[in-house]
Amino acid sequence: MNDNLNEALQLMIVGMLTVFCILLIVILFGTLLIKLVNKYAPEEVQAKKPVAAANNAVQKVDATVKAVIDATVAQITGGKGHVSKITKL
Amino acid sequence: MNEILNNLYEMTAFKAIGEQPGCIVMILLALGLLYLGIKKGYEPLLMIPIAFGVLIANFPGGGMGVTAVDGEGMVLMPDGTKECIWDMSLPKIAHDLGLMNFIYYMLIKTGFIPPIIFMGVGALTDFGPMLRNLKLAIFGAGAQFGIFAVLLVASQFFTMKEAASLAIIGGADGPTAIFTTIKLAPHLLGPIAIAAYSYMALVPVIVPLVVRMCCTKKELMINMKEQDKLYPSSTQIKNMKVLKILFPIFTTIIVAIFVPSAVSLVGMLMFGNLIKEIGANTSRIFDAASNSIMNAATIFLGLSVGATMTVDAFLNFTTIGIVVGGFCAFGFSIFGGIMLVKLFNLFSKKKINPLIGATGLSAVPMASRVANDIALKYDVKNHVLNYCMSSNVAGVIGSAVAAGVLISFLQG
Repeated sequence: MNDNLNEALQLMIVGMLTVFCILLIVILFGTLLIKLVNKYAPEEVQAKKPVAAANNAVQKVDATVKAVIDATVAQITGGKGHVSKITKL
Repeated sequence: MNEILNNLYEMTAFKAIGEQPGCIVMILLALGLLYLGIKKGYEPLLMIPIAFGVLIANFPGGGMGVTAVDGEGMVLMPDGTKECIWDMSLPKIAHDLGLMNFIYYMLIKTGFIPPIIFMGVGALTDFGPMLRNLKLAIFGAGAQFGIFAVLLVASQFFTMKEAASLAIIGGADGPTAIFTTIKLAPHLLGPIAIAAYSYMALVPVIVPLVVRMCCTKKELMINMKEQDKLYPSSTQIKNMKVLKILFPIFTTIIVAIFVPSAVSLVGMLMFGNLIKEIGANTSRIFDAASNSIMNAATIFLGLSVGATMTVDAFLNFTTIGIVVGGFCAFGFSIFGGIMLVKLFNLFSKKKINPLIGATGLSAVPMASRVANDIALKYDVKNHVLNYCMSSNVAGVIGSAVAAGVLISFLQG
């Protein structure tokens, strides 16, 4: 019984310390990673496309494809939905 | 005529049920668990397969119960002889011991399924809130206190391996509890899985209970957004997408170096997360990991864990110990997280809401949602969800690391 208690106490100390250390390392490393990413790979500023461009995109889509998409949306949404924009991925 | 009726009586399960009335208790228990899963919505995705596993395993003659193995790996065969399970091939297990034993020894006992589920969990986890509030992740460590506190007490009543398997319930993480139990005390798998998932389903009851006992109204009203304005963070994230891709890779490397025994869980968690964050290029395997593979794994895990709960394995004092000990582990974990926050608040100008400590016990995202509801009760503008998610997700890593420590020290 006492052996078990000693072993459990040891495990408690080792276990809690390990969990703390790992999370601490993850935090420190995460902070370092944030700084490195900020320095070497800052997000590119994406210029907002004008709304007109989106409308043009709809017009460029083939009429048959647009009709199929319109019909599918109408069927799935019970006629309530409408297609406002079609963009190619 | 009498002979025909007698043969019918012997062919059906009536005779065997009469000889082993204990199975009626187990069938009633299965029906009770099914009720909790279906009607009350207690973790239905796992509770219902587990409950159904219990149900089909406890009809005598059905051969769907997982056969218990003794300490030397010997298993009682249907003809009354004993054989070592590790010398038997999988087709022989399927043929002699039935379908459920085949699933159990192939998928569960090998420790295959829990990491697969962790992969799915990773694919469904967003580390964004944790990265935005990285420092709060440390409170995920405080909430592992319950595991080791209960281990200390349970070591007086159970063997060390059994005590560790019981204590890991305090990590509030089903796959971690199952993985640890498979490695250390597989004969307790059924009751431990049931206790772990039941208490996880009871998070909305247990968290407020412990919080009410440990926190004052003033502490619960600490507004994290106001604290952020008073003491702003020095690091601002400029490119979250790249960060989210790099984070799982490097976290895996850190854990692999320091606690190699936790890699099967943390590594798969991070792999699942990585394929989610990469985006369109890995969308097909992300879809498989988070849907079809995880769902199939959940079904097999639930059914076979339930099937381990036969009369002999469940109706004993050990089960009562697991139910009581599991609850204590859960409660102490929440308590540990709260106390760590209180300790931090003693020395820091920036005050932290103790609910963020309480959510250090995994159970993602339910614990965070419950904590957010508690905070909103005291202040309708105090949304702590994003802050709680940080310690909550860190708790998943913390409990997997704690499991790794227990396994590496006690398995042998």
